[in-house]
Amino acid sequence: MLMKPFLDMQLGDRIVTLMAALVLVLQIAMVAQRWIVIHIRIFAAQSFFLAMIAATIAWFNHAPHIYIAAVLTVVVKVILVPILFERLVERMEIHEEIEPIVNVPISLVIAGGLTLVGYVVAESFYRPDEPGLGHNALAVAISLFLIGFFNMINRRKALTQVLALLSLENGLFLAAISLTYGMPLIVELGVFFDVLVAAMVLGILIYRIRETFESMDVSRLRRLRG
Amino acid sequence: MDSILLIALLLVPLATAAASFFVRRRAAMEAANVAGFGVILLIAVALAAKVLAAGTVSLANGFFYADSLSALVILLTASVALVCSTYSIGYLRDDQQSGALGDDESGIEQIAQLRMFYTLTPLLVFSMLFIAVANNLGVMWAAMEATTLASIFLVTFYGKVTSLEAAWKYAIIGGVGLSMALFGTVVAYYAGHRLPGSDSLSGLNWSVLAQHAAQLDKTSMRLAFVLILLGYGTKAGLAPMHTWKPDAYSEAPVPTAAILSTALLNCALYCLIRFYILTSRCLGSEYPGHLLLLFGLLSMGISVPFVLAQRNLRRLLAYSTIDHAGIMTIALGLGGAMGSLGLMLHMAFHTIAKSLLFLSAGNVYQHFRTDLFAKMKGSVMRAMPLTGVVFFLGLLAVIGMPPFSLFQSEFLILRAAFNGGHVLTGVLFVLFSTGIFTGVLLHLGGMILGPGGDTAVAARRPWRDGSLLALAVALVVIGFWVPAPLLELIQGAARVVNGQ
Repeated sequence: MLMKPFLDMQLGDRIVTLMAALVLVLQIAMVAQRWIVIHIRIFAAQSFFLAMIAATIAWFNHAPHIYIAAVLTVVVKVILVPILFERLVERMEIHEEIEPIVNVPISLVIAGGLTLVGYVVAESFYRPDEPGLGHNALAVAISLFLIGFFNMINRRKALTQVLALLSLENGLFLAAISLTYGMPLIVELGVFFDVLVAAMVLGILIYRIRETFESMDVSRLRRLRG
Repeated sequence: MDSILLIALLLVPLATAAASFFVRRRAAMEAANVAGFGVILLIAVALAAKVLAAGTVSLANGFFYADSLSALVILLTASVALVCSTYSIGYLRDDQQSGALGDDESGIEQIAQLRMFYTLTPLLVFSMLFIAVANNLGVMWAAMEATTLASIFLVTFYGKVTSLEAAWKYAIIGGVGLSMALFGTVVAYYAGHRLPGSDSLSGLNWSVLAQHAAQLDKTSMRLAFVLILLGYGTKAGLAPMHTWKPDAYSEAPVPTAAILSTALLNCALYCLIRFYILTSRCLGSEYPGHLLLLFGLLSMGISVPFVLAQRNLRRLLAYSTIDHAGIMTIALGLGGAMGSLGLMLHMAFHTIAKSLLFLSAGNVYQHFRTDLFAKMKGSVMRAMPLTGVVFFLGLLAVIGMPPFSLFQSEFLILRAAFNGGHVLTGVLFVLFSTGIFTGVLLHLGGMILGPGGDTAVAARRPWRDGSLLALAVALVVIGFWVPAPLLELIQGAARVVNGQ
């Protein structure tokens, strides 16, 4: 890795940083978004840029197995899961707005604060003596994780909670590729298989909750206590 | 020979699931499950013998790996699975007759539901066994996620409004917890990424990382352990991430609840233990130890008021499981030879006692048709003498009465606390245990021995009572005499925990 021309690495770092910024912007857009269908599409776009980051890291670090992760991301998170969820939305005839618990302006401020936290935490992993891509990407990854977590708490509807969980997992994936240039391949395969199945299982659950409660409002799930 | 054992251990549950999925008749599903789990138990025993003789067994370039710790977890999982499968036969037949599975005329829906149960249970067991034999920490994580997926539809088995709510909580809280565990795994991998050979498949192998633990990056391991503790702690039901547990245990069919509260708890603790070993070798045992003590005491403490004020039988048992998860976490946090031995003994004893309690609670529920103490007319002892006796035995064991086995392990853990200078931990441990003791004895004692009412002559329950009797015999015998090979296995597991 040290033998590579400096310019090359710098270019790679810039591309990764640019796309990581886009991913972060999309995550914050999800915080502010009010329509479920657009929410799903933003998630798909975010996953697409994530796949591009993976491909860039694979190219500049000559780590071909990360391409597989990139392709898997496109297949699962850009194509399969959004299609699955949009069908679910259509079948359940929900087009209503997302009602966050904390209102949008305050949510945005909180998301901004969480981004700062992400940068502070990522600083402790930064080693100037070790050239490599993705220093900024790690900060973005931790921010995605935290904002995703906040989004989960801040949502009432079941489907949007699942989307928040999946975007939180996008953060994880970004952390995995930027920290380690991809974990060993079999792990990635396992992770993606699990994400796909989890999305399907949660989809079925949402559908059943809709049937039973006539609504996807999770705040109605309040029978079991104590 | 080793390779055949490990492969068979994973293939048999899959074959059992496939067989149950494709057969049409109820009897065939039952037979497939009991036979499958019987074979798995035999394999588990053979594996334990192998591990006792050879120390460790590994296969496929170290992709699969089993030491005494894995062998013990596998043995416990297999035993619980077998007992629960024989119990399920009687339990589900009763459900079918009483209309708990819906009362359609044709019976097609009932068979579909039974098929789901008899297919998902082997898959759940498969993923738990996979956790115990996976050397790669990422694969171990994926197997843990698979346990959630396999058990979600067991929690929604009865399709009630409340079971959907329980499943939703289980899925969402479990999902967040597991994503933290994955983050921790990634960071742990990063901590070792400068070790030789870390970019290959074996870079995340526990056996490799454990060998080079001292050279792992210290800052990263600190962060990794916190994330892992939060993540797998959620699966183990440590407070404050425990809220899914009473819901899931009280809504799932009783045999599933028994598996979740014993075997799956062991597996979650197993994952924690694996990371604890890495972290304590890298940073010393003080840092992870203190965190574990904190979460363990919190879990014990939180379960006390909920047990004291509890009105629901199965939720009470769930809080008792949270309490015991706390006890085992404390034992791990105390560490040392005594704490580790206490932990492994407690894991074995708790598995027997708690599955006995859950299965007895199933008998109680199917007799009284309620989980609420207030609505149970008459005492369990009069209505079902056998269930009453074994339930009472299990109850005495689980609250740590001498001479039962859990008293011994808890006493050992307490001694480890005071010997190690953790006086506050020891005092709180005694205090919380007393609270649980009072609460459980108050509610369950009253339920089992309380005033008679009408003495209904209970129906014959050969499958269920037979399973209970087997567990009760094991519970009593193990209180006085642990078979030498089992004790050796437990001691071996404790040595692994203790880092030798």
